[in-house]
Amino acid sequence: MAIAKLTGLAALLFASQLSAHTLTVVPSHYVQSKTGSFISVDVSASNMTFQADKGIGLDAFYVWLPDGRKVKPAAVYQGKRKSQAEVELATEGTYRLELGNGSRYFTSYELKGERKRLMANKKERAAKLPQSAEKVVTTQGNSRALAFVTVNKPSEAVLALQNKGLEFQFDRHPADIVAGEEVTVTLLMDGKPAAGVELDLSREGELYRNEPERKHHKTDSSGKFVFSAPVAGRYLLEASYQADIASELADKVREGFTLSFEAALP
Amino acid sequence: MKFAPLALLLLSCSASAAASLHIQLELPKPEHGPYHRPYVAVWVEDANEKPVRLIEIWREKPDWVKDLRRFWRKTGRADQPLVDARTGATKGPGRYQLIWDGKDDTGVAVTQGDYLLVLEAAREHGGRNLVKQPFRWDDSAVDIQVKAGTELGEIILTKGTN
Repeated sequence: MAIAKLTGLAALLFASQLSAHTLTVVPSHYVQSKTGSFISVDVSASNMTFQADKGIGLDAFYVWLPDGRKVKPAAVYQGKRKSQAEVELATEGTYRLELGNGSRYFTSYELKGERKRLMANKKERAAKLPQSAEKVVTTQGNSRALAFVTVNKPSEAVLALQNKGLEFQFDRHPADIVAGEEVTVTLLMDGKPAAGVELDLSREGELYRNEPERKHHKTDSSGKFVFSAPVAGRYLLEASYQADIASELADKVREGFTLSFEAALP
Repeated sequence: MKFAPLALLLLSCSASAAASLHIQLELPKPEHGPYHRPYVAVWVEDANEKPVRLIEIWREKPDWVKDLRRFWRKTGRADQPLVDARTGATKGPGRYQLIWDGKDDTGVAVTQGDYLLVLEAAREHGGRNLVKQPFRWDDSAVDIQVKAGTELGEIILTKGTN
């Protein structure tokens, strides 16, 4: 049962990369000046930024505490339009809220002209594929949605790079993003700067503007891109990366994440 | 009582040692809505907008200090002992005078140069005002008047000798 659920979510995470729906993790507060309080975190799949459309199962939602430990939220609720997690901020520092399953392998193929997919990497696929499968491609896919919340003094532990999959490194702490200031972000794939990562930066309120005012970016040869938030408010950074890789487990990699954050008043 | 002459002596010493910045600050009385006293922070930043000296913060519960957004980001979140040391009770509408003695948070006189006096006020059910007023800190006079906003009224900066 648990496996079936995870597979379902993994499939949704994967599918969300293909469809217009975007998974977002949006805390009620990004900054707190008191320990021992709670925040509510909205998790939803949406078309317009921060406009909740579909609640998501939160089996794969975790909280990384300032000391680096990974825990489950105090309570979760899955609604039709959005899901919610209650998160306790017992100690000072920076917390990471993340929905995701880590890297998964999908093998897609054609059988008599029909596209099919199974969950297997390159080593496992031979045993599972039908004899007459054609156009077999195994993709390493990962999609996650995250946000950082800081109580009092910002800390670094939950920002540490794992050197695995698509990751990011800001030139400042996420709690220090201020409207009007330039921010440089480095995107990394398996710990190395990744060129050609596609990024979209959007902000809340699209429903009430004629122009969504989304900004598209692409990382340069050193894996970097620069943005500045035009006004204070809540933003969503969406990143996606696709490449052919010569690995034992996959032919292609397709990874992405969404990061919600706030740009503070100057 | 018998310590009074010594106290006077100390006072006159510091007065002759250096000039100070006098900050006259007005908190307006809003005409509409429920009134809660504003949280107010006043501090000095250097030319690179790095905090140099926290002069005073008027606040009550820690929950809402984050609403002084710039203060919280620049100083509040990282240095609780400093914040506690400079905390005063919140104040209602009226005129107040604050004094900066030209020293940094460690008690050392700052070098001559360009500085910013930063005042930030935020009020529950009210607004937020931020004033970043540049001034020159050397032998020259300071005489600056800052136009009133909604949460911070008129601000007058002058140079004093104590």
